[in-house]
Amino acid sequence: MQLKISKSTYRSILKSLISVALALVVTSVLFILTGANPVLAYYYMFVGAFGNFSLTVETLVRMTPILLVSLGLAVSFKCKVWNIGAEGQLYMGAMVGTIAAVSLGNTPVTLLISIALCILAGMAWAGIPALMKTHLGINEVITTFLMNYVAIYFVQWLIAFPFRSPDTLFPESAQLPAAAILPILVPSTRLHLGVLIAIFLAIPLVYLLMMRSTFGYKLKAVGENPEAAKYGGINIKRTMLMALVISGALAGLAGFFEVSGIQFRMRGSLSPGYGYTGIVVALLGQNNPIGVAISSIFIAAIYNGAFEVSRVLNQPQGIVDFIQGVLIIFVLSSESIMRFLEKKGVIKL
Amino acid sequence: MPLPLIFSTGIEEGLSKEASFSGGSEIDHFNDYALYVRGISKTFSNGVVANNDVTFGIIKGEVHALLGENGAGKTTLMKMLSGCLKPDRGEIYVNGVKTRISDPRKAVQLGIGMVHQHFTLIPTFTVAENIALVSSSSRKLELKAVEEKVRYVSKSLNFDIDPNTRIEELPVGARQKVEILRLLCQDVSILILDEPTSVLTPLEVEDFFRIIRQLKNDGKSVIIITHKVKEALSISDRITIMRGGKTILTIPSSQTTASELASYVVEGFIPSLKRVPTARGEPTLSVKGLFIKGDRGEMAVKGLDLSVHSGEIVGLAGVTGNGQKELVEALTGLRKVEAGSISLKTCDLANKPPNFVINSGISYIPEDRMRRGVILGMTISENLALKRIDKEPYSKNMLIDKEALDKSAKELISIFGIKASDPCATAGSLSGGNIQKLIVARELTNGPNIVIAEQPTAGLDVKASEAVHQKLLDLKTKGAAILLISADLDEIMKLSDRVLIVFGGKIVGEFSSDALDMEKLSKLMLGSE
Repeated sequence: MQLKISKSTYRSILKSLISVALALVVTSVLFILTGANPVLAYYYMFVGAFGNFSLTVETLVRMTPILLVSLGLAVSFKCKVWNIGAEGQLYMGAMVGTIAAVSLGNTPVTLLISIALCILAGMAWAGIPALMKTHLGINEVITTFLMNYVAIYFVQWLIAFPFRSPDTLFPESAQLPAAAILPILVPSTRLHLGVLIAIFLAIPLVYLLMMRSTFGYKLKAVGENPEAAKYGGINIKRTMLMALVISGALAGLAGFFEVSGIQFRMRGSLSPGYGYTGIVVALLGQNNPIGVAISSIFIAAIYNGAFEVSRVLNQPQGIVDFIQGVLIIFVLSSESIMRFLEKKGVIKL
Repeated sequence: MPLPLIFSTGIEEGLSKEASFSGGSEIDHFNDYALYVRGISKTFSNGVVANNDVTFGIIKGEVHALLGENGAGKTTLMKMLSGCLKPDRGEIYVNGVKTRISDPRKAVQLGIGMVHQHFTLIPTFTVAENIALVSSSSRKLELKAVEEKVRYVSKSLNFDIDPNTRIEELPVGARQKVEILRLLCQDVSILILDEPTSVLTPLEVEDFFRIIRQLKNDGKSVIIITHKVKEALSISDRITIMRGGKTILTIPSSQTTASELASYVVEGFIPSLKRVPTARGEPTLSVKGLFIKGDRGEMAVKGLDLSVHSGEIVGLAGVTGNGQKELVEALTGLRKVEAGSISLKTCDLANKPPNFVINSGISYIPEDRMRRGVILGMTISENLALKRIDKEPYSKNMLIDKEALDKSAKELISIFGIKASDPCATAGSLSGGNIQKLIVARELTNGPNIVIAEQPTAGLDVKASEAVHQKLLDLKTKGAAILLISADLDEIMKLSDRVLIVFGGKIVGEFSSDALDMEKLSKLMLGSE
């Protein structure tokens, strides 16, 4: 396979780069307003993310759940099914995986079964709004979003009462058995097996699914023109259902990897909003698996870099959310910005 | 009624008639014209040169036909005169005064108004409300005054239109009258009508011509955009021919013939259709007692029966909105059947999903090609494989073979003469005519049993239309059963072995193609027999 970058691909890349640049410029204004030098701030952000080996590993660890969630969301967004519920699907996956692992104890199949069940849980939680959409015509944006709250509070209740660890004061689950913990690949870091699975298994699989398979073709057809897709004999409802369920599966997996690779217990604060961050990443990566992968590293670097910025320059941690918010605005308006620049002759393709 | 020869088959050269604008004192010249344009050019943002240095004039009180193929630039030119588009270059003179037409309102102030091919009336408003929307100059809605004016103007033209009827309750022919009324209520003196007869039945066309003559007698100038030569000849005083974005010639109708005009309209040779006599075979498609609901829950098809045999083309004639759309959607699995049966030979097709219908060998060329026939954001080769993506050689084990896709696309592009730079270009980069060629290429290959062709040549130029017609005839020779649904009666008569007339969701009449009674057919189409 030869690598050929077409004009439209080039244009898409440029669009995302412009969005990022504009978001960083707007964030610079915020830095100036809070009395920090923006150049210095971005320098510390970079150092905080990639300054040495262990910081780089930490960024990859941070990237893993974001990558898994956003790869799934890219599948869903490709056929214009707007899954806003990855956060809830992530929590349900993590919870079910944890329950399975704790109940099974140390057996050779504990990890495999837990992974399988966390994926199924994510699929099931996404399957409910999917069926509501295809069979009752209920808008998935509302159902998936509201089901996040149901999932998060349900999980909090589970770890506060039925599955509360007997040996801690906080509402959290019991520690996972050793057999359910993802092996660490480099000693004295947190580089767990899940990171490798996400990079070397999830990216190629999703790429194959979206870019090479007939399912990917159908996803695109349904997203671009459902009327023509139906006319062409594509089962629209099944395609949409599958898309949502696949995104749920990857979110569920992301959740359990956080438990079994990082936290080792199910906690109410498992995710700092990876399910929502995934939306930004999928949009920034324009639903292309490679684009999504690159965007995931970028957002993970901002997450980790922001710690350094707040430590050294005494800036608020909320900078992460600020950049994400600004990014969403620019990504969503990037097509108009691009057209404006083309009209003015600033960009010629 | 004999069919007149519409197009000659050769080019008649050496005709000495030149465009009548050359020479003479120019200022005097303008004063003879109600409207005169010079050097008008328009290039669209997608690079299409729609008008290139066009010169055109209309005399006060004449009926002027603007004749040309689809895509010749007729509509673009008229949209610039009615303020809907802005020319890149060129001058416009109204009654000898140089002017700029910035928007439709300005055009109406200058006395120029246009009836678009797709009507611009609001269906849920009444006639008077629609007219008040554009004609009242103050902020206050003076509905009573408008009603009075509508009644007055309507009466003067012998229109039987109640200003308080809602548009959606009116048939298409009456809506067109409302469009004309709307212009007259705004005191327009130059009326531009874009393909006005394309929505009318033959009887309605006669009535329409009467209206045009009366408008002329009232001193109005009328420009009729048309691609039909005989129509231009029968109604207009003068004819201007456009081709490839240029005005080729202006000529008085009395000094020309249909074949001469046709030779100017179309550049190059048009192959005549090759008909091979085909024996009618077994019934392939049969529909019995079909009931289908329309979009608003009303019963749109009420007990319809029809059959199409192999080796035969059946034309379904009828005014739009008599259940054709619902019938076609039910046949192709896109709409639910309430009662009745659809069978392909012995296989039941009613309420089967589209995929099942496709796999049974039913091809469908949809009327709404942009919305249904093609996915603009996907590539040409992907679009050509739309209905067969799950089959070899396009895919194996759920993985797409991109090379097979492109190879087959390249073949179809050359066979069907699709003007495309690259099979990997998006379908959205093609022109409307080439998009239709793409759809036809997809639907008419792979030996379909049944072809359902819905307005298959609407918007195509003469050569492309002939190619589609030839392809349909070839398939018929090979034993396919073809159901042709068209608003263009000429097309139906040209191709069909049998003509069925649909009215009110039922088949109300049947003619063999060699025993057509046009008057009876028209009456059946209007439900008056």
